[in-house]
Parts: sequence; structure tokens; C-alpha cells
Amino acid sequence: MKRTVPLALTVNGDPVEAQVEPRTHLADFLRGALGLTGTHLGCEHGVCGACTVMIDGQPARSCITFAAACDGAEVRTVEGFSDDPTMAALREAFSQHHGLQCGYCTPGMLISARDVVARLPGADEQRVRLEMSGNLCRCTGYMGIVAAVKQVAGQVAEGVLPPGLPTGASLAGLPRVVAGGVSAPPAAPAPERLAETPAESLLSEADASWQALAESFTVGHPPAEVWRLFEDVAAVAGCLPGAELSEVAGERLTGRLRVKFGPIRGAFEGEGRHRPDPAAQSGLLQGSGLDRNSGSRARGEARYRLEPAGAGTRVSVEVRYQLTGPLAQFGRSGLVRDFAGRLTAEFARNLSARLEGGAGAARPARELDAVSLTLSVIWSRIRRLFGG
Amino acid sequence: MKAAAFDYARAGDLAEAVRLLGEGEGSAKLIAGGQSLGPMLNLRLVRVGLLVDIRRLEALRTVEEGEGTLRYGALITHSEFEDGRVPDAGNGLLRQVGGGIAYRAVRNRGTLGGSLAHADPAADWISAFTALDATLQIEGPAGRRSLPLAGGLLGAFTLDLGETEILTAVEVPRLGAGARWGWHKINRKTGEFADAIGVALLDEERGFCRVVCGAVEGPPVVLAAVAEALRAEGRQAGRALVPAAVAEALPALDPVGRHLHVVAVQRAIDQVFGR
Ligand SMILES: Cc1cc2nc3c(=O)[nH]c(=O)nc-3n(C[C@H](O)[C@H](O)[C@H](O)COP(=O)(O)OP(=O)(O)OC[C@H]3O[C@@H](n4cnc5c(N)ncnc54)[C@H](O)[C@@H]3O)c2cc1C
Ligand code: FES
Ligand code: FES
Repeated sequence: MKRTVPLALTVNGDPVEAQVEPRTHLADFLRGALGLTGTHLGCEHGVCGACTVMIDGQPARSCITFAAACDGAEVRTVEGFSDDPTMAALREAFSQHHGLQCGYCTPGMLISARDVVARLPGADEQRVRLEMSGNLCRCTGYMGIVAAVKQVAGQVAEGVLPPGLPTGASLAGLPRVVAGGVSAPPAAPAPERLAETPAESLLSEADASWQALAESFTVGHPPAEVWRLFEDVAAVAGCLPGAELSEVAGERLTGRLRVKFGPIRGAFEGEGRHRPDPAAQSGLLQGSGLDRNSGSRARGEARYRLEPAGAGTRVSVEVRYQLTGPLAQFGRSGLVRDFAGRLTAEFARNLSARLEGGAGAARPARELDAVSLTLSVIWSRIRRLFGG
Repeated sequence: MKAAAFDYARAGDLAEAVRLLGEGEGSAKLIAGGQSLGPMLNLRLVRVGLLVDIRRLEALRTVEEGEGTLRYGALITHSEFEDGRVPDAGNGLLRQVGGGIAYRAVRNRGTLGGSLAHADPAADWISAFTALDATLQIEGPAGRRSLPLAGGLLGAFTLDLGETEILTAVEVPRLGAGARWGWHKINRKTGEFADAIGVALLDEERGFCRVVCGAVEGPPVVLAAVAEALRAEGRQAGRALVPAAVAEALPALDPVGRHLHVVAVQRAIDQVFGR
């Protein structure tokens, strides 16, 4: 059980004190603890705008602002504008222009609109549309909303209505601008980058439901030697950052691939098969895994092939994968490519180090510091592919 | 969805924030505006043991005007750039960029430092500050260091920042009074992350010219050859090099993606020359 934290703030002008769980976001606190159900929740990740409230005079998303972070703040919800003639005019204008149907989006619309008319009196239609674009409405088609906001913005510009709310003052006060300034310590040398490995595309097309990716790299050892390493699935897995094999039984593999992508961490646990073809010096790795934290699932397969390249070996890998579940929302194929490129580079470096026989491969199951969910995918497939 | 449980501590000063991060042994995370971390916690894409809130650290809300440089505290919000509440090292570039990030309700809380530390390749500040040749000021258990942004971005979502380090400020050389810039962000809907970003800066006084292709799969790409051609031979020469430079820097892009990036960069260049 995590600790609750004390919270003291002002809501609609009244002081409120409470003890909250840190994970409680402001919208849940307002609705649940204070019964202020005018604030609505749509997406809970900052996109729809239904939960917009004023915090210290500025509109903010109450779904991605934790209540604990609002200690000392002045919060105003749609219920808190009974003495505000400008908000009264907005309500009237929304009604008059048919700016609502089901009303779900309306509390957030009104808060954003209240900010727009104060900050940008006289805003024209285009500006109103731009400024209100962070509030989604599934009913009205926006015409009425835009007309209502524009009308009231006009009235504020004419001086008929007061802009009222202070604008721009954030909780911590305005930024301070100071002259002079300490000189910066000397810049550290740019960090050493991972070994540059040329990547070239082997796959020309991907079918619709699968993502496909191809990478290749060369290592400075002849194919026969590299192949010996590839037959040792555990050794290969050890070169793949974040991969851990828990069991190898013939073709069958069990293991885990830990991934870290920015703040996201995942651990795909699962099973796979490894089918090497010594004659062709190629092989197929297949597997699937589940990240218990997110409930995301990854499936994938990788074909690898060794070919002589000068005195060394070119290792080519074609990967197909599929990610389902929450992590898939983050699946931007470009990110996967970026990650895969770096993974491949690190893998190649570890592999070469291992082939040199040194302790260089001894950076085994450390996660490569850079994987998105998306990436997780990649990882999983690659790890399977290479034996995780 | 609701976030999984975590502990929360508000740091009273920078040293305390560093100490709290250290005590968290890898499970503690900073939260500034919470506009990237909040959604990820709610979606349970991220789990933390302890959130260390730095949003009230006054020291990180200062802008220092040096000789030819500006140093922005990490907690300056996007809307403070948008509203011109801080001096603009880019002659208006930062104002335009800040105003084009997300929506006002997000801009009011989202911070410069949070955005750069998060290092989403599709985010706006990493491209803009790469173009301005920014250097990051970082504070950690071992003291202070600085890190050039261009070298510090290791990949998508990955800035070269330790788990107990805090990005405190961003320092940039100030563009000369006559310098011109172009910024073009392509996205389907206002407020969304970019599909492509083009930035071009030309500061003849300082002999500085930089062209950046952003919102790519990894860190923003500096198109040095294009900038060189722009500076030496002018607009058309620079513009003409863009397709080849983008194709060379980003070979894995599909034709549509490549076209978007080429157009974004070319439009940014056109803005520099007043169209
Ligand atoms: C609906 C929506 C649309 C958006 N659209 C865009 C867009 O179009 N363009 C764009 O660029 N961004 C966009 N964003 C993201 C927004 O700009 C965020 O504000 C920003 O990415 C993160 O800043 P923050 O202060 O909120 O950071 P937080 O969410 O608090 O933190 C983000 C990450 O950085 C770390 N961190 C924060 N501060 C520091 C520090 N000082 N030192 C070290 N680490 C730190 C945290 O630990 C965390 O991992 C959008 C967000 C939303 C919700
Ligand atoms: S519920 Fe907060 S933005 Fe959708
Ligand atoms: S009125 Fe129904 S969502 Fe806007």
C-alpha cells in the first residue's frame, strides 16, 4: 500500500483539505471526493478536453494532473462560475447557437472557451477553431460551438463583458529573467555512439497485419566461426541486450526480453522455437510473449542468414512481428526501426566481442536504454529470433 | 484507465530532488508538467515507485541572459514561450514553436525540460533546439555537467541522461537581430505530434546556418550539406539538395514519409527567404 499525501487547495473559492492517494488525478478527486461531477472524463490521456478545468486561472487537463500536484492551487470547475457574467454569456450563447447536444464535452468546452475569450477578445472564426481544437465533440460538428465562442469573444472585445479571469499567471509565478549568468561548465565530449553498422533492406514488402523489418551487419570473423556461436542459442541471447533465456529444450526456448523505452519498461515473457539449418547457415526463430504489466502481447519471427563478406561474415536478419494490446498504441514503425538499428548495433558489438573471446560480451542482460512499446516488439521478435 | 499506485514527494530544492531520485534506486521518476508522464501512467505504460515532483523549483524557472546567449530554466512552460513571457533566442521562432505544441491546456503545464528529457522524436522542442545548437545543463549526484543536445539524443525517447540526473536548463546562442528562420510542422490535426518538421536558420552576421529535418524515427537530422549550400549559394541551391539529403539521411522512409519531410524542410527554407 502506497502512502497517501496531504492536500490543501481552493476549489471554486472554498478551501479544501484532504488526504489523497498520489495516483488520484485531479478529475477523480473533484468528482469522487468533492462530488463535483460537472468535470467529465473522456480519454484520460489528455486528448479529448472533456476534463479541462482552470488551475490558477489557466485551463489544464485534470485527467493528467495528479491531485497531489495541486497542493496550494486555486482550482475552478464548470460549477464555479456562478458569479461570472462572461461565463453566463457563454452558457447562453452555447444554448442559442446549439453548441451542445448530449453535453458530454460541454464542461470542458466552456472552460476552454472562457480562457479563449479572455485571452483573445475579438478572435475570428479561424482563431477560435484553432484555440478550441483541443476539445473534441462527437455530436455537434462544432459549428454552433465556434459561433458561440466567437460571439462572446466579440462582446469581450467591445467591452460589453469583462475578460475577468487573470490570465497567464502560473502557480509558480512568472519566469524570472536575470542578466549576466554563470558561464557554463565546459561541454562534455559527445558520447561515444554505438558502432555504426550499415543497414540495408532485404524485405521488399510487408503484408498488412505484420510489421516487417530487415537489418544486416558484418562481424570480422569467418562464417564457420560465427555459425558455431549461433548454434549456442544461450550465447547468442547473451549478446542481445535485455534478453534472458530461462530454458532451452531442443528446439523449444523459454525466456524473457526486458525493454526500456524512455520511461516505459516492459518484460515480454514467452516461448519460442529455434530451427537452425547448418547446411545453409541460416535459421528461423519464432516466438510470442506477454508483457504482464501492460497486458500487451508480441508475436514474431526472425530469419537469419550468414554469408561471407571479405574475411568476415555478414549477418542478415528479417523480422516480422505483431504487437497487440496497450503497447501497440505506441507502435510507430519508424521508432521501431530506430530502436532496431541501435539494438542491432549493440548486438553486433557484443557478438564481435564474444567472438574475440574477451569478456566483452559480458554486458549481457542489460536492457538497451531505448525501447518503446513498439520497440518491445522488436525486441521480442529479435530476441526470439536470436534465441531468447 | 487509472495509474497504478505510486508514492509521491515534492522536492524542496534541486539537491533534494537528486537525493530522492537516488533513494528510489531506479524506480523513482521526475515529474514536471506531467503532460507526457501523466498519460503514460494512466495507460499503465509506465509504472513508478516514487514520483519526485519538481514543478515548484523556482531555480528551474529562471531565464538567464548571458552575452550572446540565453539560458532557459527547464520548467519554463510551452505557453510561456507562446506568450512571449521569456526572451526569444530565435527571434520569434520559439514563440511560434511553443504555440504549436499540443493545446493550450497542455501547454500551460508542459515544460521545456520535460519535453527534451522525454525525447519523443515527433515532439517540437527537440527539433527547434537542435536547430539552435542548444547545450543542456544537467545536475546529478556527481555535480554539474553540460551536454550538447545534438550529441545527447541517442535515439527515440532516449536522451543521454542518468536516472538520478536532472535537466536544469537549456542554453542557446542568441540569433543575431537580422537572422531569419523558417519552421514548418506537418500534422493532420492542430495540436497533434508532427508527421514531419522542417527548420531552417540563417544568421549571416554570425555565419551560422542550420537546416534540420525533424519528427523522424530517431533524433532530428541536421542536413549540413543543405545548410552549406544555402549559405554559400543561396536559396535555390539549398532547396534543390533537400530531396537527396533527406533520402540519404533517412533511407528507410517510405515514399510518402520522404515526401512529407522534403516538403517540410523546403517550406522552412522558403520562409527564411520570405517565400
Ligand atoms: C494531448 C497531447 C498532445 C501533445 N502534443 C504535443 C505536440 O504536438 N508536440 C510536442 O512537442 N509535445 C506534445 N505533447 C507533449 C507535451 O509537450 C509535454 O508537455 C512534454 O512532452 C513533456 O513535458 P512535461 O513537463 O509535461 O514532462 P513530464 O510529463 O512531467 O515528464 C516527461 C519525462 O521527462 C522526465 N523529466 C521531466 N522533467 C525533467 C527534468 N527537468 N530533467 C530530467 N527529466 C525530466 C520525466 O521523468 C518523464 O520521463 C502533447 C501532450 C499531450 C497530452
Ligand atoms: S479526459 Fe482529460 S483530456 Fe480526455
Ligand atoms: S455535445 Fe455531445 S460530445 Fe459534444
